[in-house]
Amino acid sequence: MNALAHGAAYGAVIATVLLAMVALAIWFERKLAGRMQSRLGPTMVGPVGLLQPIADVLKLLQKEDIVPADADRGLFNVAPVLAVLVSLGAAAVVPFAPSTIAADLDVGVLYVLAIGGLMVIPTFAAGWASNNKFALLGGMRAVAQSVSYGVPLVLATLVPVILAGTMSLSGIVAWQSQHHWFAVWPVLPGLPAFFVFFLALLAESNRIPFDIPEAESELVAGVTTEYTGAKFTLFYMAEYLHTLVGSAVAAALFFGGWDGPFAPGLFWMVGKTLALFASVYWVRWSLLRFRADQLMELCWKRLTPLSVALVLLAAAWVQFVPGGGK
Amino acid sequence: MGHVLDALRAMGTTLVTAFRKPTTVEFPKVVRPRAERYRASFALPDDEHGELACIGCLACERICPSYVIKMKPTGKIESPVTGKKRQYVDAFVLDLSACIGCELCIQVCNSDAIRMTREPEVPGFSREDLVLDLERLRANAREKTMSWGKGSELQERQEPPKAEKKPKPEVAPVAVPVAGEAR
Amino acid sequence: MSVQIQSAVRAGIDPHLSPRSLDPEADLMLLHFGPQHPSTHGVFRMDLLLDGEIVVKATPYVGYLHRAVEKLCEKLTYAQVTPIVDKNDYVAPMTNEQALNMAFERLLGIEVPRRARWMRTIFAELQRIASHLLWLGTFTLDLGGALGGGTTLFMHAFRERESILDLFEDVSGARFHYNTHTIGGNRHDIPAGWDDKVKAALAVIEARIPEYEAMSVANSIFVARTRRIGVLSGELALELGITGPNLRASGVDHDLRRDAPYGAYDELTVRPCVASEGDCLARARVRVDEMRESIRLVRDGLAGLPEGPICGYKPVRQPTQVKVTAGSQVYVAIETPRGELGTFVVGGGEPPTSPHRLKIRSPSLHALSAIPYILPGHTVSDAVAILGSLDPIMGEVDR
Repeated sequence: MNALAHGAAYGAVIATVLLAMVALAIWFERKLAGRMQSRLGPTMVGPVGLLQPIADVLKLLQKEDIVPADADRGLFNVAPVLAVLVSLGAAAVVPFAPSTIAADLDVGVLYVLAIGGLMVIPTFAAGWASNNKFALLGGMRAVAQSVSYGVPLVLATLVPVILAGTMSLSGIVAWQSQHHWFAVWPVLPGLPAFFVFFLALLAESNRIPFDIPEAESELVAGVTTEYTGAKFTLFYMAEYLHTLVGSAVAAALFFGGWDGPFAPGLFWMVGKTLALFASVYWVRWSLLRFRADQLMELCWKRLTPLSVALVLLAAAWVQFVPGGGK
Repeated sequence: MGHVLDALRAMGTTLVTAFRKPTTVEFPKVVRPRAERYRASFALPDDEHGELACIGCLACERICPSYVIKMKPTGKIESPVTGKKRQYVDAFVLDLSACIGCELCIQVCNSDAIRMTREPEVPGFSREDLVLDLERLRANAREKTMSWGKGSELQERQEPPKAEKKPKPEVAPVAVPVAGEAR
Repeated sequence: MSVQIQSAVRAGIDPHLSPRSLDPEADLMLLHFGPQHPSTHGVFRMDLLLDGEIVVKATPYVGYLHRAVEKLCEKLTYAQVTPIVDKNDYVAPMTNEQALNMAFERLLGIEVPRRARWMRTIFAELQRIASHLLWLGTFTLDLGGALGGGTTLFMHAFRERESILDLFEDVSGARFHYNTHTIGGNRHDIPAGWDDKVKAALAVIEARIPEYEAMSVANSIFVARTRRIGVLSGELALELGITGPNLRASGVDHDLRRDAPYGAYDELTVRPCVASEGDCLARARVRVDEMRESIRLVRDGLAGLPEGPICGYKPVRQPTQVKVTAGSQVYVAIETPRGELGTFVVGGGEPPTSPHRLKIRSPSLHALSAIPYILPGHTVSDAVAILGSLDPIMGEVDR
């Protein structure tokens, strides 16, 4: 079938599966957080609390839908929908198995980075359209943070692109499955590049220690302060989706995606994604948040020069190591 | 770099905690044992003759800082059990929703007639569910376990040492306008 | 008078001046850190004038939790007042009761038996540990968010605080508002086996303090958020009447337990913890060190606890049993986890069984008065950190 039908079919399936996985991810995060805090997490709803996310979503959906008096209605209503669409959009080019990919673009990496960069729009729109000073502060911080951390994100993503020689995500994964995972070898640009990518992923998905746009203890709920009911549910889901898809991209870029012995590729991909997702939440539930200027300093003064150096190292590796690093 | 090492140390602490047994006690499947002296709700128990111990002396009603106790004493009646004349109460109302749990009513009761219980009341659906009348208080005495505190025992344990000469007051009198004077 | 000098010396922003009067064209945003906010430590309102994210002027508003406690105490009798003041500093209720009853004892000239004084000291130090644990949990909650590392430390700190509350439950029957102090001593004696439980609980807490430090004062993100933030100089603290860990973190070595001993402190050695920087980190460090110091004091207290009666005055039998004639007044202050909590009582009310005036000097109110001075120049995130580090409890601020 032609690319459009292929993309639509696979896209619908992947989107549905991802949305279902969000429910599982919410449960997993809450159990993990509970254990880290010496408590149990959800236990009452369903066996081991598995139906808790469903209960939460149902509860949120039946809440009153409030739009603040002087809010910009159009932007206010569109922002959460856009957030979910942007988060789902990046999943189109992620190779879940050797031949399971919704759209096998030659410039998959560019597409992922572009879509990821779009995420700042719904966040800032929510902050601006709410007509609320807390939301506005959150929106301002979100713009600063997302735009700034886009730079190390892009540079860190360049490292696997240079090492594999292709911008297509499935091509990068295929290269890793034939040779070696980038986070493992070459250790020098590979592992620090993963590290920088991980931090930038935390910053782009607004996870602690980089969650100042939605800093609950300072800004009530940051950009989502005025959102209730279904729209809040969409934002809530968009956060998890963004983290999940980001983890999947990180798994594909640095850990070989579906590569692995003894089991079908899908299992490995899902396993690696979940492992990275768990790490994101492990970091989140252990650390305190950075202040806005400290966050900017970390990005511009430390991560950006580091990632530029890593790109140069990757280029040097490919150029000078005999065999082109294969 | 320091941030990274400290972050890893904090993450190590959380990881270690994740594998320890959680401290959660799953109430109400498991109920933690309460202390012997735990004070939750109230009861009006019977005395050694099997009739209501409360003699309606109004001591608890007077001491309560939140004015939650109201009772109607009957006047001296002949007791059907012992034959002696004693007072009872027709009605005894304790508004648990306004009670601050200070145990002063237990402290002042010379007849050990009002006790606190170690099990709290079941949550109710209306304010009236938390107003304890005589029936409920007597039922609590039968069904719940009493807290350790008893008026006579508390007072006995708090008796000051005998034959202690009180030292002179340390404060020097100061002329202070008393309410109602020269405002 | 010295306020102007202070401002001039600091050459910073005079908190009483309106920035708009200086520069009407400035683009400043007024943000109500309203009474409903996840981290204002109770119902407290701050109006922040912001220039971008920097606070230019901060105005605190208190009174949202005013419950007319002092007026209520004028209506009730001396014997009934103790459970009411329990609710002022609701995080450290033993200290409220202790300050109040010490004032009444001084007023009536009652001597408290030795055992009661030692018991009160042990309870006060245990309460200090519990209060600082709560403070640590809520402070990291402010810094790290309700959905992150802050909650983790919060849960851990509360787990330890539960064990202390269980100890108090064993003694008095209540976990939170005890009403175990009375005029002349205590109402409940220590049950058998209590000191073993205390020692076990203290051993657990002492083992966990390094874990707390790893996630707070020794953690570089925490340090980055609190170092050089909200610097309170010793002179300003003394002018504003700030006491307790806030004062000691600014370099002034003043601790009522050592300088004006009460209870058993004349027989125990108290080593106050002092820091000199006066920033949020110093205040945090002082409180964590105080936890360790209190653990040591509880152990010494238990070791030296004498036998004997627990009350030096007649037990409460009727509300009108305490009469104080007109013309006597007294002020008694103790060192609570927040600073100097004082009770000023004027006797001889109408009727003489009630106080004529009962005034409570609350340390948190003075701590909050530093907000207009130390907040400007910092960002909104720092505002939250500074407020948390001052450890205000609105119950005693507003009474």
